[in-house]
Amino acid sequence: MKQTQFVKSNTQSWDEFKALCEMERSESLPIHFPNLYRKICNDLAIAQSRQYSPILVEQINRLVQLGQKRLYLSRSNQFSELWHVARTAFPRALYENRVMLAVNLLAFWGLALIAFIWVRLDPDAAYTFLGQGTLLNIEKMYDPSGSVQSAERGASQDLLMFGVYIYNNIGIAFQMFAGGVLFCVGAAFFLLFNSFYFGAIAAHIVNVGFEGPFFSFVITHGSFELTAIIIASAAGCRIGYALLNPGQFTRAYAIKQAAQKALPLIVGAFLMLVIAAFIEAFWSPRDIANEIKYTVGSGCWAYVLYRLYKGMRYGA
Amino acid sequence: MLNHGLENREYVKLPEGVDIAITPAGVVARSYAYIIDLIIRGLILLAIATLFSFFGDAGEGLVLIAYFLISWGYNILFEMENGQTPGKKRLKIRVVQDNGLPASFSQIVVRNLLRPADMLPIGYFLGLIVMMFNTRFKRIGDWAAGTLVIYDDELQERPLLPKGDVSIPAVSLTTEEQLAVLAFAERHNELSAARHLEIATILAEPLASNETDIEEQLASYARYFAGQLHDNHDHSHVESQQ
Repeated sequence: MKQTQFVKSNTQSWDEFKALCEMERSESLPIHFPNLYRKICNDLAIAQSRQYSPILVEQINRLVQLGQKRLYLSRSNQFSELWHVARTAFPRALYENRVMLAVNLLAFWGLALIAFIWVRLDPDAAYTFLGQGTLLNIEKMYDPSGSVQSAERGASQDLLMFGVYIYNNIGIAFQMFAGGVLFCVGAAFFLLFNSFYFGAIAAHIVNVGFEGPFFSFVITHGSFELTAIIIASAAGCRIGYALLNPGQFTRAYAIKQAAQKALPLIVGAFLMLVIAAFIEAFWSPRDIANEIKYTVGSGCWAYVLYRLYKGMRYGA
Repeated sequence: MLNHGLENREYVKLPEGVDIAITPAGVVARSYAYIIDLIIRGLILLAIATLFSFFGDAGEGLVLIAYFLISWGYNILFEMENGQTPGKKRLKIRVVQDNGLPASFSQIVVRNLLRPADMLPIGYFLGLIVMMFNTRFKRIGDWAAGTLVIYDDELQERPLLPKGDVSIPAVSLTTEEQLAVLAFAERHNELSAARHLEIATILAEPLASNETDIEEQLASYARYFAGQLHDNHDHSHVESQQ
């Protein structure tokens, strides 16, 4: 068939198809649309194999692109998916990534414990690790007789700190997730750094005898925050590990799959960090008896650990 | 499988059994789009910061939250609608799945959360390196999300050729070869006369033509390939406009 003839006999269906593709998304397509789409695909194949003019091939190519966009319309993208992720996908992802999570949990708490014991046994080591300036700042913050603890914090300061925690902590979690792509290095570095830092500071605070204000402050939000940071790191490592050990897949496919598997983890960690920021800004600094704070904090820890256990064990 | 080495195109296999062509957007277009988005983001933040600066500490906290939301959410919010941020819209490029379909929400989130990896160590250096080592210009985030950035199809309109004689080549040419002749004719004005003749000689060789004016002959072939009809000069581009 000559090209001119081909064009003449098909123009009508092409025009009809184009008109259908440009319909409003809300309108439903006629029942013969898929058939028409397959016909256009066939036309493209014919035009390509018969070496018709590039411009004609290009036109039909464009029609097929329009058609597949209309036919395979993806589900409407909505933020309400976040709720579904938190309820179902997150626990399931905890189960699917349980080995990676266990490694990260062990690494964080193991190194924190090592740092804690080290600084307890050798108090001067804290100055080597953290530097004097940092330590003085921290001591000032948790000094029971100091101005920071006794100062009355207004609602506006709480809001300021809430902003700081949102911006800072969630930013770190996202950076760990992204850093994990680089063969786990980025995520592991942040995780181990934070774990050592946390262990050393906790030990130093105990050394100087300020443990009351310190632990009553961190216990409640620590449950959500520390666990979320570990989950974020595990999510990043999951992607990086897929690059290191793609198994039977190509690396391009393995990383794609790992990212989809890790995504609910980072979304869950994000929600946990928002909760943590709320607690840290509006509950932790309240001037309440330490006993109440310890009780509430223990309750939060119990809840987080229970959910973590249920997720990692049963995916629920 | 077609091999369009002349054009920066990639082929996607459809379940329907044909390959369709898409044009991945390169480093320059995407950088321009990024700079435009950066400026817009900066302006929004500046406005918010000025507004909230009257509210003291609480305002500062809100600015930080806004900064967080805008720096991480700006791209996600715009791209989940139709794959285009304002900057990308300006450059007529969009984010799609590897198979050319609109990207899903989770893919958009992944490609944007992984930005910090591309930014390492400074100014998207790693992302640029990764982009330059694959033909689809995917940065790390695109690899993990299974997305790529392509030109919107509207941009691929070909320039009209000047009218003139139309002739049909004696041997049938492949699409690839037809494209070479077309591109040669379309870029007529960009080349010097000497360079023109040089290329024309190379192109004419496989045609084994004994025509004296090779350039004119190539131009008339190009008109045929572009869809101008040989029996009616006034109906140039008739086919392509139908």
